[in-house]
Amino acid sequence: MTTRAITQGEVILEGIVKNYGTFRALKGIDLRIAPGEFFALLGPSGSGKSTTLRVIAGLEVPDAGRMLVDGTEMTFAPPGERNVAMVFQNYALYPHMTLEQNIGFPLKMDGVPKAEIAARVQDAARKVRIDHLLARRPGQLSGGQQQRTALARAIVREPRLFLLDEPLSNLDAQLRLETRIELKRLHASLGVTTIYVTHDQEEAMTIADRMAVFRDGEIMQIGAPAEVFGRPDTLDVAAFIGSPPMNLIPARIEGGEAHFPGWRLALPGAPAGDVVVGVRPGRIRLADDGLPGKLLLSENLGEAMLLNVDVDGTLVKLRLPDVSPIAEGTAVRLAFDGSDILLFDPETRRRLDWPEMESRP
Amino acid sequence: MSSGRAHADRRALAAGERRFAILLVAPALLVLLATTTVPIAFLIWNSFQTINLAMPFLDGFAGLANYRQMSGDPAFWHSLQLTAIYTGSTVVMQLVIGLGLALLVLQIPRGQWLFRIFAILPIVLAPVVVGLFWRTLMFAPNFGMIDFATRALGLGTVNWLGSPTPALVSVIVIHTWQWTPFAFLVLLASLASLPEDLYEAARLDRASAWRRFIHITLPLLRPAIVIVIIMRAMTALSAFAAIYAATGGGPGTATEILNLYAYRISFTQLDFGYGSALAVALLVLTLAVSGFLFRIRTAGSGP
Repeated sequence: MTTRAITQGEVILEGIVKNYGTFRALKGIDLRIAPGEFFALLGPSGSGKSTTLRVIAGLEVPDAGRMLVDGTEMTFAPPGERNVAMVFQNYALYPHMTLEQNIGFPLKMDGVPKAEIAARVQDAARKVRIDHLLARRPGQLSGGQQQRTALARAIVREPRLFLLDEPLSNLDAQLRLETRIELKRLHASLGVTTIYVTHDQEEAMTIADRMAVFRDGEIMQIGAPAEVFGRPDTLDVAAFIGSPPMNLIPARIEGGEAHFPGWRLALPGAPAGDVVVGVRPGRIRLADDGLPGKLLLSENLGEAMLLNVDVDGTLVKLRLPDVSPIAEGTAVRLAFDGSDILLFDPETRRRLDWPEMESRP
Repeated sequence: MSSGRAHADRRALAAGERRFAILLVAPALLVLLATTTVPIAFLIWNSFQTINLAMPFLDGFAGLANYRQMSGDPAFWHSLQLTAIYTGSTVVMQLVIGLGLALLVLQIPRGQWLFRIFAILPIVLAPVVVGLFWRTLMFAPNFGMIDFATRALGLGTVNWLGSPTPALVSVIVIHTWQWTPFAFLVLLASLASLPEDLYEAARLDRASAWRRFIHITLPLLRPAIVIVIIMRAMTALSAFAAIYAATGGGPGTATEILNLYAYRISFTQLDFGYGSALAVALLVLTLAVSGFLFRIRTAGSGP
C-alpha cells in the first residue's frame, strides 16, 4: 500500500451477474477495492476475471447488480465517462499512429491544447522510458516497448482507475519479471487504484496488495496474498495457489490424531471425521518415520529438488533444499508437523478450523 | 580436384534446370505475347498510319498526324471530359455507398452471408445484360420502374436515356449499381478484420463514434480503399458494354466516353488509324491514372 493519502478510486461491485446467451460468466460478484489499492483478479482462463474487469471498464454491461466508483453509480455509464484507463493484453495500440500520437490520443479526444499534449506525452513517455521512441510506430517496436507505450497511454490522462488485462502475458519470462517490478514502482509513484487481471498466481502474489481468486464465475476468496497463500478458504483455492500448489491428502481424524495409511500424526483438538489434509511441498521432509510412499520422479530445480511421490494413489510433491539425487522407485517416508497443515472438509470443501489451530503462530 | 569436379557438375545441373524451366514457361509466355503484347504493338503501329476503309486510297504512313488531329478534335476533348466525369463520379459513389453499406451490414449480428451472396449477383451479370435490363425495365419512359416511381410521386415523366444530362446520370447510375457490390465486399472483409480491442481502447479514450471512424477506421481501411479506387477506376475508364447497350453513346454524344468514341471512329466511321490513336490515348490515360494511384498507395504505407 502506498503511504500517500489517496481519496479517490474506490470501486464497489455488488452482485454483478453477466450472461452470454445461456452461459453465466459471472454469478454475482461482490467486491470492494480501496482507493489506491493494487488489486489482482486471479483465476484460470474462463473464470470470469477478465469479464469483471470489462464490466468495471464499461465494455460489458452487467445483467444484474451495480457498480459504484467513489460512491457514484456507474453501472451503465459509457466507458469514456468513467475516467478509467486500460492496458489490453495485446496492447491495442493504434498501428497507424506514431507512439507520440498513440499516447496523446486520449488527450486529443479530451480537447487538450496541442502544446500541453506534447508536454504531457513527453512526461508519460519518460516515466516508462520510451521517450526516445516517440517518432516510431508500434510495428517497429519490441513487445516490451509496445507494452510500455500502452502503459504510457494509460497514465497520460491521469485516470482514477488503471485496469490491466494480463499485461505481462505476451512478454518473455525475463522481461516479465522486470516489468512486474516496474509496474509496482509505477503504482507506488502514481498512487492510482490499479486492478490487475492475471492467471499467473506468482504475478498476483508478488505484485498485489490484495487479490480475489476467481473460479467458474465466482469469487472464491479475497485477501492479501499472504493470507490467501497461508490460509486458503477452500480446497479449490488451496489446489490453485502456490507452485506447485498445496498437497491435498485424504485422512481420517480420530482421537486427536490424523490417520493416514501407514502413519499417524498428532493433531490435538482437531474435529473427528474424514478430512483432506493440506500441506505445502516445502513443509514436507523425508524421515525414518512417516507416510510411506514410492518416489515416481525427482525434478532438479537447481537450488532445490522437487520429488513426486505416490502415497497410496495420491500424488504428493515435496521440495527439498538438498539436490543429491534419489533413484526413482525408491520407497520413501514423508513427514510433516501438525502446525504446518490445514484441514478441509471433503463435503463442503471449506477449511476446517479448530481452537488449537487458531492459536498457532 | 574432386571438389572442382563436383563444382562443375553442380553448375551443369543448374544450367540444365534453368533450360528446363524456360522450356516449361515458354508456351504460356508465347501465348501471352501473342494475345496481349503483339496486339498492343500493332495498335500503336496503326496509330501512326492512315487506315481509312472509306478512303483506302489515302492509306499510308501518317507519322503524328493522327495525334495532331486529336488535339484539335472537340469530340475527343468532349469524350475525355465525359470519361473524367464518368470515372470520377462512379468511383466516388461506389466507394461511399459501398463503405456505408459495409458499415451497416457489419452491425448485423447474424445473416451477413445473405448480403454477401446478393452482393455478388450484379457483379456476375454481363455488362451488356445490365445495360439492356436498365434500359428496358428501369429507365424506359412510361413503362420503366423509375418513371413509375417519379410519376407516383407526382414528378412527372422523364425521358432518362433520351435527354443528354439525364442520360449521363443514368449510365453513371447503371455502372454504380453493377460495381458497388465489389467495393462493398472488399471493404466489408477489411472492416471485419479490424481488431475489436482498438475500438474498445478508443472508447475508453473517449473517442465518439464519429471520431473512431475518422481516426481509426478510415486510416486502417486506407489500403483497402486505395485498392478499391484503383480497380474501380480501371473498370470505369474502360467501360463499354453497359453504356453501349443502354444509350449507344447518345443521345448525340452525351454519354460517349473515350472508349465509345474510339469504337465509333474505328467501326462506324471505319477510320482505323485515328481510332487506334484514340485507343492509345485511352491506354496512356489508364496507365497514368493507375501509376499515380499506385504511388499514392505505396507512399502511404511506409513506416
